[in-house]
Amino acid sequence: MLTLMEPALWTEKYRPKTLGEIIDQEEIVSRLQEFVKRAAMPHCLFAGPPGTGKTTAALCLAHDLFGVRFQDVFMELNASDERGIDVVRTTVKEFARMASLSSVPFKILVLDEADNMTSDAQSALRRTMEKYTDTCRFVLCCNYSGRIIEPIQSRCALFRFTPLPDEKIVENLHRIAKNEGLKFTETGLKSIVEVGEGDLRKSINTLQAASSMSKGITEESVYQVVGRAKPTDVHEMLNHALKGDFIKAREELRHLLVRYGLSGSEIVRQIHSEIFRLAIPEKKRIDLVEAVGEIDFRLVQGGDEEVQLSALLAKLASEA
Amino acid sequence: MTVEPWTVKYRPGTSRDVAGNKTAIEKLREWIDSWSEGRPTKRAALLYGPAGVGKTTVSEALAQERGWDLVEINASDKRSGEILSKIAGLASTQSTLFSKGRLILLDEVDGVNLREDHGAITTILQIIKDTQYPLVLTANDPWDPKIRPLREACLQIELKRLGVRDGLPLLKSILSKEGVKTTDDALRFIIDKDRGDIRSILNDIQLLSGRNRTLTMDDVNLLSGRDRTESVFEVLRVIFNSRTVAAARRALSISDLDQEMLFQWIFENAPYQIPKPDELERAISALADADMYFARIRKTQSWHLLSYALDLMTAGVAVAKQTPTSGWVPMKFPQRISSMSRTRMSRDLRKRVGVAIGQKSHVSARRAQQLYLPLIRFAYEHSPEKFEQIAVWLEAKDELNEMLSAELK
Repeated sequence: MLTLMEPALWTEKYRPKTLGEIIDQEEIVSRLQEFVKRAAMPHCLFAGPPGTGKTTAALCLAHDLFGVRFQDVFMELNASDERGIDVVRTTVKEFARMASLSSVPFKILVLDEADNMTSDAQSALRRTMEKYTDTCRFVLCCNYSGRIIEPIQSRCALFRFTPLPDEKIVENLHRIAKNEGLKFTETGLKSIVEVGEGDLRKSINTLQAASSMSKGITEESVYQVVGRAKPTDVHEMLNHALKGDFIKAREELRHLLVRYGLSGSEIVRQIHSEIFRLAIPEKKRIDLVEAVGEIDFRLVQGGDEEVQLSALLAKLASEA
Repeated sequence: MTVEPWTVKYRPGTSRDVAGNKTAIEKLREWIDSWSEGRPTKRAALLYGPAGVGKTTVSEALAQERGWDLVEINASDKRSGEILSKIAGLASTQSTLFSKGRLILLDEVDGVNLREDHGAITTILQIIKDTQYPLVLTANDPWDPKIRPLREACLQIELKRLGVRDGLPLLKSILSKEGVKTTDDALRFIIDKDRGDIRSILNDIQLLSGRNRTLTMDDVNLLSGRDRTESVFEVLRVIFNSRTVAAARRALSISDLDQEMLFQWIFENAPYQIPKPDELERAISALADADMYFARIRKTQSWHLLSYALDLMTAGVAVAKQTPTSGWVPMKFPQRISSMSRTRMSRDLRKRVGVAIGQKSHVSARRAQQLYLPLIRFAYEHSPEKFEQIAVWLEAKDELNEMLSAELK
């Protein structure tokens, strides 16, 4: 897509264009550069937590292989938006089967968030990957390689992306802050790194949000951003329930669903990880895991998010 | 601030203040007074009529104005023959302290459960035979076969629904005491809608006049537009106060509300009506189970599953509540219904925003919302220029403005 304006989101503005610009994941980058040199590559599976550069690496790879105008031979699909067998059967196939006209003998198709594809769609994809190997290479990006079916994994070269070390993130933030002419303190940047947990996108977003405050990037402004931006009132909600206040807990739940637009399964996931941090007896934790699992299943079956999650809150409240 | 329900606040102090049913009440009064000249041939009176016509109220007023004790056993008590003879039996034969008078009230006798309240009818007959004090039974349906044996033994008095003739002056005087302006057509409409059930009528006019201190057709239309709120209070009252499955299931027969709407009413009010956490847990769990049946019905169109959902959401909730609530807890309008249309709009809007962000940032629409909305929200609140810059670049300025301004309200 051709955009005349400079990107307003810094994560886009400062996204590396070439493999050489990527500041971390050295081992991965050098392997990918090898592909470019030889103008040959296998199907790839990029696995790792959010904000570690999977999509960026795929975009840079395509750029380095095909040059600036790589749009014709490159396609990016987001599996979460366009999942399902139909997409694999039509869009993906259509793109994959047409031979490339460029000097490089294949095209690249990037499937983002591939672990959100149903296993049926993944199976359908498997055949397409095999059939059009001559004309097209697939790059699948996912958070968990375990959610990709075995036959696809075995057809791909696996690249594991790891969270960025703190100093790399600081380096990046520094560069952006200087370039944007921001007022900032070192402790301000440090606190961004702290809450960023190795996720560069999240860190840059925090930086940009904090920059909209007049006082600039300080520890205070960062915490203000995080306090407002983090929809992890899940913890709050559970605390109300554990204190026996179901009505407050349900209010908080409605807040999460309506105001923050969190999905029920998102909340279930967060509750699941909270279970191990709550101040409750060990045996209770396991009871809760089972209760949470049951609700997860019910949501899949079409249960109402608010009603089903309320049942869990009522359970917590009655044990208070 | 505690709100006193008007059904309590305007409960008639004496039997002469009861609206309507003048002849019937006179008949009851004469019968009670005849006890001063020895036991009459009929030792019990059966007051019958639909819900909310004042059966209990009349009995209570009659006892009170005579300075008598009132011994009352109602539907929410368990009343096997044994328990009945213990309480009512003793009360009907033993003399009172300071030899005061006494009135015994067996409320809702047609609600006895033949299995659970084993031996109740026989015992009641025995009590009628032995009693030294006037005994008043009440029932909705005097023709219920269960209580046929009782009918013969009782003086039968019918209480009719409140009509417009008696209703209008009563409601007008209450509303003028409350400082609420009203119109005849609005009151007529409510009396008619609630079919003369004075309890529902009072609940409704209290609810409707609470907003503007007026009660006109405009306020009333609000009610009819809202899925017939007129009976929902009664239905909820029954569900949250029944102790038996049968009684709670009966709530459905008096409701003409859409099932899923009724579900929302019950779900909203459960935590307020059921204060004990372990009982609430069971109630919400029954509702969650009912919800799964609704989900299955939607998915498979198997409408025969509906009856399970209904049982769970009424009886399941009723039996979960074992401890009666003390005092009156006002019913709440379901947040879900009032915000349903708003939410649907905002979800749709949010999705469009997500798609716009996703297209420019290489993530899915869903993740785009999670990743970038906090940042955009923050810019919106702190720096209009920076927000503008981002919104324009995303080509979603109108959508973002609409969504964020609605959120901040």
